[in-house]
Amino acid sequence: MSTSTTSGVAAANDAAAADGTTPAKRRSIFSRAANPTPAPGYRGSKKATKLEPFTVISYLGVTIFGLFALIPLWMILAGSLTAESTLARSGYSFFPEPFSLDAYVAIFSGTAVFQGYAATLFITVVGTVLSLLATASLSWVIARRMPRISRPLTIFAYLPMLFSGGLVPLYLLVTQVLQLQNNWFAVILPHMMAPFLVFVAVSFFRQLPEEILDSAKVDGAGELRVFFEIVLPLSKPILAVIGLFYAVSYWNEWFTAMLFISDPEKYPLQLMLQNLIANVTNAAMLPGSGSVAPIYQLRLALTVVTIGPILLAYPFAQRYFVKGLTLGATKG
Amino acid sequence: MQQRMTTHKENPVDSAVPVYRAHARQSRKQRSRGSGVLLLLAAPGIAWFLIFAYAPMAGLIVAFKNFDVSKGIFNSPWSGLDNFKYFIESGDAPAIVLNTLVLNVLFLAATLGAGLALAIMLNELRARVFKKFMQSAIFFPYFVSPIVISIILQVILAGAGGHGGAVNDALGLFSLPEVSWYTEPGPWPWILTIVKVWQLGGYMSVIFLAAITSIPEDVYEAAMLDGATRARMALSITMPLLKPTAAILIVLGVGRIFYGDFGTIFAIIGDNGTLFSTTDVIDTYVFRSLRTIGDFGTTAAIGLFQSVVGFILVTAAVLIQRRYSKESSIL
Repeated sequence: MSTSTTSGVAAANDAAAADGTTPAKRRSIFSRAANPTPAPGYRGSKKATKLEPFTVISYLGVTIFGLFALIPLWMILAGSLTAESTLARSGYSFFPEPFSLDAYVAIFSGTAVFQGYAATLFITVVGTVLSLLATASLSWVIARRMPRISRPLTIFAYLPMLFSGGLVPLYLLVTQVLQLQNNWFAVILPHMMAPFLVFVAVSFFRQLPEEILDSAKVDGAGELRVFFEIVLPLSKPILAVIGLFYAVSYWNEWFTAMLFISDPEKYPLQLMLQNLIANVTNAAMLPGSGSVAPIYQLRLALTVVTIGPILLAYPFAQRYFVKGLTLGATKG
Repeated sequence: MQQRMTTHKENPVDSAVPVYRAHARQSRKQRSRGSGVLLLLAAPGIAWFLIFAYAPMAGLIVAFKNFDVSKGIFNSPWSGLDNFKYFIESGDAPAIVLNTLVLNVLFLAATLGAGLALAIMLNELRARVFKKFMQSAIFFPYFVSPIVISIILQVILAGAGGHGGAVNDALGLFSLPEVSWYTEPGPWPWILTIVKVWQLGGYMSVIFLAAITSIPEDVYEAAMLDGATRARMALSITMPLLKPTAAILIVLGVGRIFYGDFGTIFAIIGDNGTLFSTTDVIDTYVFRSLRTIGDFGTTAAIGLFQSVVGFILVTAAVLIQRRYSKESSIL
């Protein structure tokens, strides 16, 4: 439905696909991603009558890489269900034998994991909502091409992609000036806006049909009303893409938490996990210890608990990620 | 500097969307009416950028100060270039700069190569369900956090109690000697590269696959009429036509070389000093010196050095990329 709209020369096309330059191109990728059936023809089913060696090699290669991607994750899952006796000997297992749920029982009988989940959920949900609101509204103002406002704002949001103050000033800002130690907002705020996603949103907003906005204004809707009641509902697909990018980065964020959160009761999941690694290393070094608690199994089970929600959301999220990637293409 | 600013004015989206000039054609009067309200809308974003992006830039003056927590950033005494001197005299500078460059070049080359190969192979697959499943599988590692990656590596490389592990057991099958991976700095650049390929191979393949999908059908049809094999088509049509995409990714990747992926390396290596000789990069060095030395001035000096070199590289990359993509779209 889409490739035919582009202007012919292939080199031009894929360059455009890579940096998202031509709007026509961008729109076409977007609509294709919304409807993931590939275009027929070469990429479809045509003339697949005889099997060529290259096709066989491709099947092989993709299968190998697929296994390469999945086996480590399988080892985590299998290991988390394997009794500590095996794990303490080899450190890994491919099949849960002997099968054991000890670690999961241990995890869910304590409160630590629930606290960790609460922290991670708070950071992810509140962070994503704040990020989306701030990103969408700033992007909309940039996209409106207001004289004397939009241009300077573009540069304003673009410069931080080129130059950053780095770790030390940020650390001083959060700890000395804002006094946010042991506060979940210390994890949220530094990542609240990603300039890259601002520009993804801007380029989407600029594709909204002007007529709808005009007719709304003729009907007497103010700028705010236009934004909240027309622009945002029309932009659901891009908001989903951007929201997912933010949500995953909040979910996986551990470094900022490590810098600013020292109270174990406030640890998000990732930081708990990191702490447990340190404990495992310590436990392994102490002679005779390690057999008391199922620490190897515990570590793997906690890992599964940490990636579980991503795994569940994945079938839904993946489509949007691919969409966002091809839309913003090369993330700098 | 001023010159660069002006070039960036058109950047990055404005110049890219000529079609929307319709927007700009609207009368100025009409648009400036709601400008107060719109500024209100932009206020949270503007405030965030001022506090979390621009204030830290100003905070970099710490690099020139003898920082004292009780006096604050602006009241601490100036120390000239002492902080920089300390960094240079410590003798660590050449090694970590070299590590940063070597590792990031390895990462870039390997992930681009893997992404390209994967995209071309995925493009060959006919079985719909299989293809979809495989695409989902290879893209998934992108979502896995650095901490989880470090646990996976420990399971594979370290085993229990510092010996064994899946890789060593596999080596044992071929009666090769066991390697104590976490005390052996030599192989780590390659291990980290493999981790990067695992993490980003699928991600890169998505970008390349998007570019492949935009290659017009008739080129392949013509080749098919001439009796080209699929291997020939991949080699002589797909690969050359992916060059601009690859070039842009390379340029952007080189631009980001000084901002190596801190999270992954730090999560994996942590404070394991025996591995520093091959894995310590600027970011990890900065963080460690912040934590262990606790000297904000010196650490900020290293950070400033990184920011300046990074800025030069990124700016050059953006300028080259704009030029390149413009040229290739004229072709």
